[in-house]
Amino acid sequence: MLLLDIKNLTIELKTPDALVRAVDRVNLSLREGEIRGLVGESGSGKSLIAKAIVGVLNKRWQVTADRFSWRGQDLLNLSYDEQRKIIGRDIAMIYQEPSRSLDPTAAILEQLEEAVPDHLLDGPWWKRSYLRRRKAIGLLHKVGIRDHQSVLQSVPYQLSEGICQKIMIAMAIAKNPKLLIADEPTTALESTTQAQLFRLLASFNQLKGMSVLLISHELESIARYTQSLSVLYCGQLVEAGETAAILKQPYHPYTHALIKSVPEFQPNLQPKTPLYALPGSIPVLQHLPIGCRLGPRCPNARKECVKTPSLERLQNHYFSCHFPLTGKND
Amino acid sequence: MAKFRLLPDEQLARSPFKQLWREFSRQHSAIAGLLIFSLFFLLVLLSAVLTPHDPYLQNDSLLLLPPSWSQQGLVQYPFGTDDLGRDLFSRLLVGARYTFGIAMITVMGALVMGLLLGTLAGMTKGLKSSVLNHVLDLALTIPSLLLAIIIVAILGPGLQNTTWAIMLALLPQFVHGIRNAIAEQLNQDYVIAYRLDGANNWQVFSRIILPNIWEKLTLMATMALSTATLDIAALGFLGLGAQAPTAEWGAMIADSLDLIYIAPVSVAIPGLLIFLAVLSVNLVGDGLRNAAKKRREN
Amino acid sequence: MSILLEVRNLHKTYRKQAGLFRQRSICALNDVSFSLAEGKTLAIVGETGSGKSTLAKLLVGIEKPDSGEILLAGTVAKISHYRQYNHMIRFIFQDAAKSLNPHQKVGQMLDDVLRFSTVLDSHQRRQKIRMTLKQLGLLDEHSEYYPHMFSGGQLQRVALARALILDPKLLILDEALTALDPSLRAQIVNLLLDLQQKSGLAYLLITNHLRLVKHIADDLLVLHQGMTLDYGTTAQVFSHPQHDYSRKLINSLTA
Repeated sequence: MLLLDIKNLTIELKTPDALVRAVDRVNLSLREGEIRGLVGESGSGKSLIAKAIVGVLNKRWQVTADRFSWRGQDLLNLSYDEQRKIIGRDIAMIYQEPSRSLDPTAAILEQLEEAVPDHLLDGPWWKRSYLRRRKAIGLLHKVGIRDHQSVLQSVPYQLSEGICQKIMIAMAIAKNPKLLIADEPTTALESTTQAQLFRLLASFNQLKGMSVLLISHELESIARYTQSLSVLYCGQLVEAGETAAILKQPYHPYTHALIKSVPEFQPNLQPKTPLYALPGSIPVLQHLPIGCRLGPRCPNARKECVKTPSLERLQNHYFSCHFPLTGKND
Repeated sequence: MAKFRLLPDEQLARSPFKQLWREFSRQHSAIAGLLIFSLFFLLVLLSAVLTPHDPYLQNDSLLLLPPSWSQQGLVQYPFGTDDLGRDLFSRLLVGARYTFGIAMITVMGALVMGLLLGTLAGMTKGLKSSVLNHVLDLALTIPSLLLAIIIVAILGPGLQNTTWAIMLALLPQFVHGIRNAIAEQLNQDYVIAYRLDGANNWQVFSRIILPNIWEKLTLMATMALSTATLDIAALGFLGLGAQAPTAEWGAMIADSLDLIYIAPVSVAIPGLLIFLAVLSVNLVGDGLRNAAKKRREN
Repeated sequence: MSILLEVRNLHKTYRKQAGLFRQRSICALNDVSFSLAEGKTLAIVGETGSGKSTLAKLLVGIEKPDSGEILLAGTVAKISHYRQYNHMIRFIFQDAAKSLNPHQKVGQMLDDVLRFSTVLDSHQRRQKIRMTLKQLGLLDEHSEYYPHMFSGGQLQRVALARALILDPKLLILDEALTALDPSLRAQIVNLLLDLQQKSGLAYLLITNHLRLVKHIADDLLVLHQGMTLDYGTTAQVFSHPQHDYSRKLINSLTA
């Protein structure tokens, strides 16, 4: 069953000068127990989509979608309170800089206890605080922090970013969410902790069937841990499908460039040889090209590319390009 | 990574100052404040030319003339005359020079001195800096009006002494603010980068620090200007500042306080002008602060 | 190939005021030695607190070492007199946006760099600025731009222009490539490799991005709590790391 099903999500920013379309008709779906990667460079709108899902965008942003359903329920049509209730129960999110998402003045114990919802504590009310504490310690053990005594008494600045991110995950899983959105969870971490964290997320996915939406600007760091992938460029969905299939045979020139620009995916590439790179730079929001937004940078752009390509499907592989790459002329 | 930077339009906002002006001009209240402010500023410059009568000429035949809108009033004397027969309108115009003009001079003086001392405190390290700092911090604990009164009490009353007193009273906050602004700038990466380019202290100061704290300086100056205006008026009202014949607004209110039932206009209008002057300065200051904040957010 | 930079037994300890009279000393660098030849790239990897930023500061002369020598082209150099050496060793900051003065046009900034460190007249300076901008794929008009008008990738190019305008021998890149978007990073990496081939520039890459290191670095030095754990050619360190920590680091990449 589809957990999250979004069709033609459009997010626009109201500026004093104009309405800027930051996310342009993006489809996104997530099955139960799936880990999906959402890859895109800065300005691609990946964080906006995440924020739209949890409904925390401020008034300057305007969100519209043809379908925006969470387990069969249309979220956008619900009242604000109902929306918050569902999202608060089922969806959790962790951010890029964990030390900034934690309360800097409160001890970890307090913050963790607060994250545990009441309905998960079964026991008479006089045992509540004890149970809460037990639960908090249990959560820390689950995310792989053994030394719970000292961590619980600490204040965020005393802990490393890696530990802080683990605590964020502990707080996120406290309510047994159906979906965990991880917005660049490892950018601020050391490379040794990065792998640990991804493994942690993968294990929760396998043990509890929790779906994960993994957002990153680097394809190579999340490719190993995701089953399916959505690639965004400048607010447009360029390609979506199973990770292995996309890595093996990308149809969109942008995905192709993304894969080829990473030395890791090119085992035959000699050290110190030039990497494959698209010319030009990411356009700014006010000056987005019409039609396919990759147009000016695309190596095989043609006249037709000024029209926005529709999303096409080949088995389970979606792409939006007029001239998809095929295996032959690669 | 995923932050939306809206790059400003090239034609509309090239330099940071133009950007600031663009944000500033979007706020109606700030523009209104700026208009009133410039009106007062023009008045300060041109009041000598604009006055219809000599503000100090005592006309025995026209004592306590009501304003022109009442039955007995004369058009030549729009706000009437005071108990010595001096034209109130002319006196008010000239008063702008004292209350507002001198406030501006005071702030300028304090700014220049503050910039010197603040730079010294900000760019030096160790004992010199901390001595300068803590002595001035002591002075900051006393409200500026009280400090000015103390200084006037020592120097004796008079407009010139008031000017010095207020300048000295404003100084600590300037030095403190400038020192902090400079210290904040010195921590920036671009200062280190500039030093690595081979710049010496003076070049770092003139090329980087000054342009970057300019905005803060203007902000501090506007806030200080409203304080200074109020202080001068208050000291004039208390009889410590401008002395009797001088047409300073605060002194004028004090003079006509006895006549408040006979000629309420002679108290109300100077008060209104002080209010407007301070309001306009505060509106401009608020507008600047908002604009600077908005620009940073972009 | 001549040795451009040689570092011998560098030590650096920071003292922190722990109480009123007590001082706590933190050893940031402990006996670090390495050498770098012209036209080569040395990568220094390590986690935060490993001392790699301190090393960069010592090399550009923001701070002085407690003991040890830095040899520049064979002669002992007092790098802390950085006005003497700043045209040879240039530093690229992690965040290009923060290393540029927001109130100064790019052209002015480049002009200042030349004015401070060279004897060129204004015409020659303008010529040099134009050449450098072109070399980095920027336009002439860009010298009239303020930093806030550039996008991330262009800013990095501007920062590179600032460094390269003095024709340095060594470029120190402090995490300068980490925060860039992948496609931009590929562009900048290509640019750096190209420059190295053409002008024999040496790079000192301070990073914790191992994937890139593998591709662009000739030598690799693993730093951990101020100590050198592994030092050798990249291929050698990657295939036979000596220490547990290095092994862990390399495994995190390939696991």
